Amino acid sequence: MSLAWSFYISTVLVYLGVDVMACWGLNLQYGYTGILNFSFIIYQSAGAYTAAVLTLGPNTAGSFQQYIGGANLPFPLPVIAGGIAGGLLSAVAGVITLRRLRSDYQAMVFLVISLIATAVVTSDVGLFNGPAGLSLIPQPMSTALNFSLVGYRWFYVGLTAVICLIVYAFLQRITSAPLGRSFRAVRDHEQGAAALGKNVTGLRMTSFVIGGVIAGISGAVLVEFISAWSPGGWLYQETFVLFTALIVGGTANNAGAALGALLVPVAFLEGSRFLPQFGPPGLIDALQWVAVGLMALIFVWFWPRGVLPERRRIIKLPGLPQAGTGRPRPVDYEKTAEIR
Amino acid sequence: MFVHAIGFGIITAAVMALAAVGFTVQFGVTNILNLAYGDVMTASAFVAYVSHSAGLNPWWGLVLGGLFGAVFSVLLNRFLYTPFIRRGARLFTMIIVTIAVSLILQNSLQAIWGPDFVSANIAAGASVHVLGMIFTGSQLILIAIAAVALAALHGLLRYTRLGKAMRATASDPELARNCGVPTRRVIDAAWLLSGLLCGLAGVALVTELGSFDFTTGSAFLIPVIAAAVLGGVGQPYGAMLGALVIGIATELAGTYFNPVYKDVVAFGVLIVVLLLRPQGIFAEVASQKEVAA
Repeated sequence: MSLAWSFYISTVLVYLGVDVMACWGLNLQYGYTGILNFSFIIYQSAGAYTAAVLTLGPNTAGSFQQYIGGANLPFPLPVIAGGIAGGLLSAVAGVITLRRLRSDYQAMVFLVISLIATAVVTSDVGLFNGPAGLSLIPQPMSTALNFSLVGYRWFYVGLTAVICLIVYAFLQRITSAPLGRSFRAVRDHEQGAAALGKNVTGLRMTSFVIGGVIAGISGAVLVEFISAWSPGGWLYQETFVLFTALIVGGTANNAGAALGALLVPVAFLEGSRFLPQFGPPGLIDALQWVAVGLMALIFVWFWPRGVLPERRRIIKLPGLPQAGTGRPRPVDYEKTAEIR
Repeated sequence: MFVHAIGFGIITAAVMALAAVGFTVQFGVTNILNLAYGDVMTASAFVAYVSHSAGLNPWWGLVLGGLFGAVFSVLLNRFLYTPFIRRGARLFTMIIVTIAVSLILQNSLQAIWGPDFVSANIAAGASVHVLGMIFTGSQLILIAIAAVALAALHGLLRYTRLGKAMRATASDPELARNCGVPTRRVIDAAWLLSGLLCGLAGVALVTELGSFDFTTGSAFLIPVIAAAVLGGVGQPYGAMLGALVIGIATELAGTYFNPVYKDVVAFGVLIVVLLLRPQGIFAEVASQKEVAA
């Protein structure tokens, strides 16, 4: 493998890991709990900015970039702090949005929060260096480990994979536990869940904040690798890419979410890089967005459950005959509780 | 400076009222949160731009833009939104569908006209002073057009059978259908009216701004939604009042703080209203309804 390919493939793999994590976070919120979080990308961004300023070191006067709260923490503290920042911002947004609003207004408010965040970070240069963004963020352990340039990149691919596995194990644990069942109950039948004594708002907040932490971690992992972060990279449209990935891959199914991340943000958007360039600058970008929109519409139309649909969960109540005993009899749907 | 800001606010409010009333009429009747609305505004503005480049009088651009918005919105509903709802798409899915349409429309416009701003200059006319506020001739015409369009809509909703049927469909589509109201045609009429106002607002907006690009309409959508929600969804008069409040508030914020915070003020008002009074200023109740087609 030539050096250039090695560079490129390692970069794509880190992006894949980050997108998979982001899709899992969004999947917990949207797929499992039914929160239409159109501001997902800002929690990723909060994690990225936090990790960046905690790695860059104190801001010196006269530096080419300005930011708040600089520090020089060792890895993995900036990534953990990024997760905390994503979770805290989610908690604030969740308290505003999830308590009283009807669900279509929630979607609208999340969209608005995303726009506000972009406007504020872009115009308030003292916060995170405004539209130019932060750059030259040191990569974790790059000096201590003494790898070659390419070797370090493959080391980072491994690091991302490890973090992905931790997040995956955690999410599988949650979603197969009673907590995950409560999330799905809130999604499928809010009043029903409330009638059974579930704290609907509390459950939504829990899911939302956990998703925000994962978003923050994904942003932190990405920014430590690419060394730069600016508002142009986290416009509200980016959240839509993740939603499209979920719809394509399959909601409420962590394998489906990972597949969606592989298909949409990585295979599709990276793959079109290799098409011959044509037309004026900006044309291909525009056509890419058109294609992402069309992809979302086509999947909602033909395969609304995605490539890997959610597992149907059927729970037999006690007192019903077990499968395989006696002759088959018609299913008594009155006594079969189906929980999706 | 304060009076000048109020003057700007009134112009912004006139354009915003056109857009917000159109948005609220459609949202009230069908309950589809159409996030592609802003991009239809931009598309209408491009229609006006093309007609102007072809040598037509700019006011023809307003007519053509309005017609385009009306026809496009009806087609969008007939051939995209309604089939999706028939196929079982519900509230959440429809929001994703409208965002997808918004992205497709916005980036198609970019693919056709490129990423640069185009000029929408028309003769501004002599300036007129009213109570210390300065308006140009074309701005006064825009305000007049907004007033006439909204008065006509008021007449339509208040005094015609169609208006009554529309209000009935908005409050309960099932009941209206059972009472013999042809709800499908009423919904078409709502999209037509909404699209007409959307197209007019799009052309008015770029006439007012002087130049525009493919994101102009979608950037304007959030203050428009803020105005509609402030007035109570489905309440045209509320939307007018909401537009006046948001229009003046954003211009004041733009004058006294950073102009970038114009939008932040609109967003802030939207969020505060949603938290304190989600049913808006006028509406009695705002229970959640399913989408109607």
